[in-house]
Amino acid sequence: MTFMVGGAPNELAFFEKILASYTVDTGVPVTLIRQSTDSAQRKQGILLSLRGQQTNPDVMLVDVGWIGQIAASGWLEPLEKYDIDKNVFFQSVIELADTYENKLIGLPLYIDGGLLYYRKDLLAENGFSAPPSTWAELRDMSERIVPRQKAQNPNFWGYVWQGAQYEGLTCNSLEFFTSAGGGFFVGTATPVIDQQANVTALQFMRDLLHKQPISPPNTFTDMKEEEVRLFFHNSNALFERNWPYAWGLHNADDSPIKGQVGMAPLPGFKKGQSASTLGGWHIVMSKYSDMKSESASLIKYLTSARVQKQLSLKLGWNPGRSDIYDDAELLKANPALQNLKQVFKNAVPRPVIPYYSSVSQILQKHINATLADRVPAEQALKQAQIEVLELIKDYGIK
Amino acid sequence: MASNNFLQNYEKGEVRTACFFLAPLLLIVGIFILLPVLGTFYNSFFLDVSFLPKQFIGLKNYARLLSSPDFWQALRFTLAYTVAAVSLEAVFGVAFALLLNEVFVGRTVLRVVILIPWAIPTIVSARTWQLIYEYTYGLMNFLVMNLGIAPERINWMGTEFGAFWALVFADVWKTTPFVVLILLAGLQAIPEDLYQQAKVDGAGLFRRFYKITLPMLKPVLVIAMIFRTIDSLRMFDLVYVLTGGGPGGSTRTLSYLGFEAFANDSFGLGSTVSVITFLISLAITLIYLRAGKFSEQLK
Repeated sequence: MTFMVGGAPNELAFFEKILASYTVDTGVPVTLIRQSTDSAQRKQGILLSLRGQQTNPDVMLVDVGWIGQIAASGWLEPLEKYDIDKNVFFQSVIELADTYENKLIGLPLYIDGGLLYYRKDLLAENGFSAPPSTWAELRDMSERIVPRQKAQNPNFWGYVWQGAQYEGLTCNSLEFFTSAGGGFFVGTATPVIDQQANVTALQFMRDLLHKQPISPPNTFTDMKEEEVRLFFHNSNALFERNWPYAWGLHNADDSPIKGQVGMAPLPGFKKGQSASTLGGWHIVMSKYSDMKSESASLIKYLTSARVQKQLSLKLGWNPGRSDIYDDAELLKANPALQNLKQVFKNAVPRPVIPYYSSVSQILQKHINATLADRVPAEQALKQAQIEVLELIKDYGIK
Repeated sequence: MASNNFLQNYEKGEVRTACFFLAPLLLIVGIFILLPVLGTFYNSFFLDVSFLPKQFIGLKNYARLLSSPDFWQALRFTLAYTVAAVSLEAVFGVAFALLLNEVFVGRTVLRVVILIPWAIPTIVSARTWQLIYEYTYGLMNFLVMNLGIAPERINWMGTEFGAFWALVFADVWKTTPFVVLILLAGLQAIPEDLYQQAKVDGAGLFRRFYKITLPMLKPVLVIAMIFRTIDSLRMFDLVYVLTGGGPGGSTRTLSYLGFEAFANDSFGLGSTVSVITFLISLAITLIYLRAGKFSEQLK
């Protein structure tokens, strides 16, 4: 049996160990096929094997961003018949990301969601007792604090987020749009990209760079996860949007901002209208697998409470199982889990549709054009809407 | 036919032996180059996405591509990029080749040093350039701020204009050595006595350059430019690393467009982009050959 997974060296080493202990328990040897950390490359590797109807890999990890495409291609083995308890996972995630045409096609191995990181110390020094709950508050706090900081550090900015032309921009936009009451799709074939709420949100995003300005000018060219994390990490920003992985790094012993970082849900345009884009990886079984019952047992093993706890303790990943977030041992190691559970419960997935990656590409291009101040928000979203409709027509999707 | 005459010069046995020795090579070229190329042509007539049954759609991919503003944007960008990069490389290439053809102390060292950019894989040098153009800590903005060129840092990749020249600059830096290398070989093939004679006849430095060097160098220069043009027309790596196609999709080349289609698992459309890129390269090569009067030269 083979298991295909990518990641950093320590992550792969972790999987090697888990697989070895699985083999000890069951007597079934498992080969690990290593992939890179890059999501797009991992997708291509998986698509190639599945397109070619290879019997290997049997089990693999897929990104929530492209699980819809793989499911729609009919490459995934439905998991219901393997006696899996769905109820221990996040209900919304199972429904929105792991169910395709009423069939269970995957399980969340771990979960991610967009979060707001903020400098506790700087907010307190300036008389703010809580992180911003609306975008207007975030703007006001930045306008108050940033000029003072800039006096000591000319590179200091208010809010850093992922604005470069790539998948991260789609995730950030979904958060801005949803927090204004908008979104990309209604159902699976009705794009609502040019609705007014989205235009308002995109205008706000553009203004962050060009009007106030609160975000650094290179937001739309350079800012991906790591660029954003390092920017905040080096004490150059007041607020940061990132995934949960940044928490551990910001609080590491050698971090310049250790102990000064707070974590909160992202702001909304109205109080309480916060949105977090669902991220994370899902474990699935290939339809072409020649070892299906063994594969199912591996999937159950990797999503068992024991292994999920280890994922959290050893790698700092957030388990896909919601039932272990109240575990005392986990909470002791990572108190942030308490907050994260709430964030993940309300996380919004990107549209789970087979042609999602094309839609995302169209969105990235037009939204980035507005951030670059080349095209006004309304016009950019109108054009994106037109192109997505054309795409749907080309594919003959009803 | 020239080729028939050519074969008549050899005995039958010799031809058979030649075929025998060439067969493995032709087989490899056939399997690894010809078949994929034909497959690409074939694929371009299909709607080929994983979640729909593969279906023959005739020229619809071509129609879709030719009616899409993205395609024309990419074509315009690719051609502008090619013209800018190749002409700069030709000018710098000739200049450096002439310099390195002279005798001076340290020439050998310089000849080696000048090849270094060419020896570095593009993806690596692209990463280096990324650091140089980097907004906060990059060398370019360090110079801008310290030499007082501008009051604020410049976001080099933030405008189409800036990104375009940043890409051209990186390309010229990397591939001029290749042009130099070819031209240097060409220069060394020009007989020295031609210059001696011209000197005797009273021709000055510039006259000798225009009447002897340039015409004698032309066939080699055309070859170098053909290589560079075809390479530039399918430029991908610099864009992939430096701009990711941004800002707002304005720096996508044809190859990048094809990559985007493949990345979306849209194999039919991606193949169509490749076919069109191939046809454009072919057309431009033919123009070069015509302009360089190559058929005559080869006789």
